[in-house]
Amino acid sequence: MADKIEVSGFRHFFRTEIGSVQATGTIDLSIKAGEFVTLVGPSGCGKTTLLKAIAGFLTPSEGNILCDGIPVRGPGRERGVVFQELAILPWRTVRRNIGHGLEIARVPKAEREATVARLIGLMGLGGFEDRYPHELSGGMRQRVAVARTWAADPEVILMDEPFAAVDAMTRLTLQEELGRLCAATRKTVFFITHSVDEAVFLADRVLVMTRRPGTIKAELEIPRSASGGRDWDSFTSDPLMQKIAGDVMHLVHAERV
Amino acid sequence: MIHRWIWRLLPWVPAVIALLAWWAWFAIDRPPASVMPSAFAVIATMADLAFGGRLPGDILASMARLLGGSALGIVTGMAAGFVAGLNRPIADFMNPLVVFFNAISGIVWLPLVIGWLGIGSPLAIFLIWNTVFFIIFQNTVLGVQLVPEVLELGVQSLGGSRWETIRSVTLPGALPYILSGIRSGLGFGWRALIAAELVGATTGLGQLIFSGAEYHRADIIVGGCLLIGAIAMAMDRWLLLPIEKRTVIRWGLVATGQGR
Repeated sequence: MADKIEVSGFRHFFRTEIGSVQATGTIDLSIKAGEFVTLVGPSGCGKTTLLKAIAGFLTPSEGNILCDGIPVRGPGRERGVVFQELAILPWRTVRRNIGHGLEIARVPKAEREATVARLIGLMGLGGFEDRYPHELSGGMRQRVAVARTWAADPEVILMDEPFAAVDAMTRLTLQEELGRLCAATRKTVFFITHSVDEAVFLADRVLVMTRRPGTIKAELEIPRSASGGRDWDSFTSDPLMQKIAGDVMHLVHAERV
Repeated sequence: MIHRWIWRLLPWVPAVIALLAWWAWFAIDRPPASVMPSAFAVIATMADLAFGGRLPGDILASMARLLGGSALGIVTGMAAGFVAGLNRPIADFMNPLVVFFNAISGIVWLPLVIGWLGIGSPLAIFLIWNTVFFIIFQNTVLGVQLVPEVLELGVQSLGGSRWETIRSVTLPGALPYILSGIRSGLGFGWRALIAAELVGATTGLGQLIFSGAEYHRADIIVGGCLLIGAIAMAMDRWLLLPIEKRTVIRWGLVATGQGR
């Protein structure tokens, strides 16, 4: 399979009043089409900086980022982003938030409504179509954010700790739902987290980062059953998965700040 | 239930207390009519002026000037505020100018502008614009700058252009500040209007009050002030509040304390 995302020789510095601060070390990585890659690392290691560069929100100080072989020069609809903080629009209802990307792409109304209805069903948002975000729980809002990104049908989806602000119980449900959504749509996903279990649970491949200035120190392939199904019950009772999670925990623990 | 009614009646309490105090003062002190009129005299005079008098024409003239000048101030203030809020260099260029002209009160402009525009509505509209513009401008700049960046980035990665981002993110995001600017702008607009009408017009509530002052008619002055306050309250309640209920309150951007 061809590489969907290719990062080569990436390095980033932030200019501050006291001089330049190195945010990341040199990073090379590639993500294949349809692959779910998670990146786990200590806070401040530069993982969000890397994601922002792939999204096109910042220009790398050094190196190249290619999407389908074309250099990234700013945000674009082929690279959808799900943010950690609430990024859906408070002045749009659930329905209009999810349909926003299709509206921008001038998709005809009937087709747009069909897509929105399908995602509302997939994400368990039925009955909340005409609610505004402030009327929803934190978990519901994040479901809307995920559905909004999926509805726009991007080639690649970048997720920056999307479930970090959600309570632990809801997080488990959202992770399983995301697993089902990915199995149903086969998207290329790059997912950042500081939770080892989350990283191993969701991924086809886990990347582990060092502390700041972060580089990728390890890479683990996660064997998936043919169905690609992900649920916490089988994850916690599978000795192989638990062994991998233990190994990743070991790698991450060595980088604690 | 009773609790609810108390809160609903509370806004009327100051008016009732003021009326009672007014009545009591008259019963005890009996001040001369040129110093303070009785409530009955004010009502009688205003009724006279309303039916067959100059009052309807004055109210219409004042409201037309207020709405015209405010509309102009809101449109130009928002436009300039968006340009400055979205472009740092333009904001840096405009801010000293705005501070400079904002410091010069409408009264200072009055003698100059009478020479340019003559006496009448254009003069009043200019002075209201001169007041409303700066309030709307500064609120819009602040509102635009305080819209969370993540909302804009989100729409851009859905494929939204710069214009789409402004339309669907920046404008509604800045609306709480813009509406708050409109609320204070209208209040200061009234002040500018009455000042303009005192010398720069032949009709309007300002002229009515000024003619009351010339003839030592405190009943007309007090009646005119009560009318201005009442119209301002009515506009806030029936013009501005419905817009807020449909937008910033509906979207949960401002807490109302109701229904919680």
